[in-house]
Amino acid sequence: MATRVEVPEAPRDLPARGATKRSPALRRVRRWLTAYAFLAPAIALFAVFGVYTVVYGFLLSFNNWNGLAPHWTWVGLQNFKTLVSDEIIGPQVRKSVGITAIVMVALPTLVVAISLPLAFALNSIRRFQTALRTIYFLPYVTFGIAIFYAWRFMYDPDGVVNATLRAIGLDRLAPLDGFLGSTSTALPATIAVLVWASVPLGILLYLTGLQTIDQSLLEAARLEGAGVLMLLRRVVWPLLAPITALLVIIMMREALQGFALFLLMTNGGPLESTNVLGLETYTLSFGARSTNLGLASALGWSLFVVALILSLINLRLLRSRTQVR
Amino acid sequence: MGRIAKGVALAVLTAYVVVSLYPFVWMASGAFKDRRDVLQSASPVPDHPSLGAFRDVWRDLDFPRLLFNSARITVLDIVLILFVFPLAAYAFAVLRFPGRRLLYLAFVAALLVPGITVLLPLVILDTKLGLADTPWAIVFPLANAAGPVAVLLLKSYFEAIPRELHEAARLDGYGELRIYRKVYYPLARPALITVAVLNVVASWNEYVLPSVTINSPGQRTLPLGLQNLLSTNVVQWNQVMAAALILVVPVIVMYVLLQRYVTDGLRGAVKG
Repeated sequence: MATRVEVPEAPRDLPARGATKRSPALRRVRRWLTAYAFLAPAIALFAVFGVYTVVYGFLLSFNNWNGLAPHWTWVGLQNFKTLVSDEIIGPQVRKSVGITAIVMVALPTLVVAISLPLAFALNSIRRFQTALRTIYFLPYVTFGIAIFYAWRFMYDPDGVVNATLRAIGLDRLAPLDGFLGSTSTALPATIAVLVWASVPLGILLYLTGLQTIDQSLLEAARLEGAGVLMLLRRVVWPLLAPITALLVIIMMREALQGFALFLLMTNGGPLESTNVLGLETYTLSFGARSTNLGLASALGWSLFVVALILSLINLRLLRSRTQVR
Repeated sequence: MGRIAKGVALAVLTAYVVVSLYPFVWMASGAFKDRRDVLQSASPVPDHPSLGAFRDVWRDLDFPRLLFNSARITVLDIVLILFVFPLAAYAFAVLRFPGRRLLYLAFVAALLVPGITVLLPLVILDTKLGLADTPWAIVFPLANAAGPVAVLLLKSYFEAIPRELHEAARLDGYGELRIYRKVYYPLARPALITVAVLNVVASWNEYVLPSVTINSPGQRTLPLGLQNLLSTNVVQWNQVMAAALILVVPVIVMYVLLQRYVTDGLRGAVKG
């Protein structure tokens, strides 16, 4: 078996049988070289923009650097200590941890609670299913600055949300500074957008799961007189548990890492009430407080460790699921 | 299912259609309103429909340049991704070589690293390589970030292609590169489209990377222009919505045309 070296216009000489005369060791080495030639572009890209940056960030987190000085100053674990116990940074980070924790609980809970019934309803109808799926998915694919700004427009003090509240006589619920301008409403308002954009993924996953459930099982339960709610709770929910677990983990990771929405909708405000950890890292890296990039790296790496733990849990869950089958 | 349950299901589904589309409706309606109406009227239908906002945005923002820059980054990104990762996926799926499992694991493990963790090092690297303020400062990191999912999807696609095809091509005297180009790459078209669509959306919408690597106005992308529009003192919401609409419409059109590929890709990516 001949394995040709990677010349684009490789001539078709040397029929396969002719090559078998070469020594097996040589052929094996050529085969390996071919494989690595295929991998070379990906490895080059990955080495520079993947591995290098990860290692660089890791090393930087043990140093002090203002971004301009010619050299780093090694400080060991000092940056990690600063994040926890510094008089100014410490409380800031703790506040961000609290806000992020709220998002990490609220986002998965709401996405599961909204997308499961919707998927169940969608699965039960035959007509319009495709059209509805297309529409439901729009928030997910368009997620980005344009959508964030559309929501800001609606949340504006004189925007449609406030106008609607006033029109139906609920003036008290309409914040004067708009939903994003008040410390008590900004976080719920941004979480609502995050939920709105994530529910489609939940619907997609649950729908896939529902379609794999044996229909005769549902039919049997129905014949025994189980109502819809009973069906959902006793049959569908347990069967979809692995998908719920997957969805919860994905949403928790999103809550932990995502910050573009907060950057563009509130920039962490008002009064840091929406300053999630990802955004705090961004601000320490590029914002007004980016005086020590080692500190920003330390926070970025702390996030990485938590994300890694979540992913390992995810892997465990996936494993245990495949073992059952 | 009972008639009542069915009725409830339909009501819930319809209500959620409204929820899903509501911001899009307001974006479109705001874009066609004039300066005064945009915040005063609570009706989604403009009282004095006008294209003024589009005209203003097109003129004030140097829109053709923004569109060109965004399109250029998207095209470069997709070309790079569709060149680099199918090759790698083919090696992982079809070829046998030492270090295969380890290398594959390292590739896919990159999925675990949060974007924010490597954002600062990426910007420093872009500067060091002299890429800052060029499209490449965005293209290379975006392509690299797309790697794990692309390799995951393409590898499983290549693995599903019957091995006999490979053997037959070998017997015809084809080398690996020819087999890849003439047999595997064309057969993987659905997976390639999936990868392309997911990344077109991602790079077209990308705000964070350009915001920290682009300085000169001539290199600005559409999301940066949109951001610029909102950071002015008096926000003209009709203009912001007009620009947002121009940004979002291509994504919607592409998604509606190619949605099967999008959902297939997401299912595959999530499970991997």
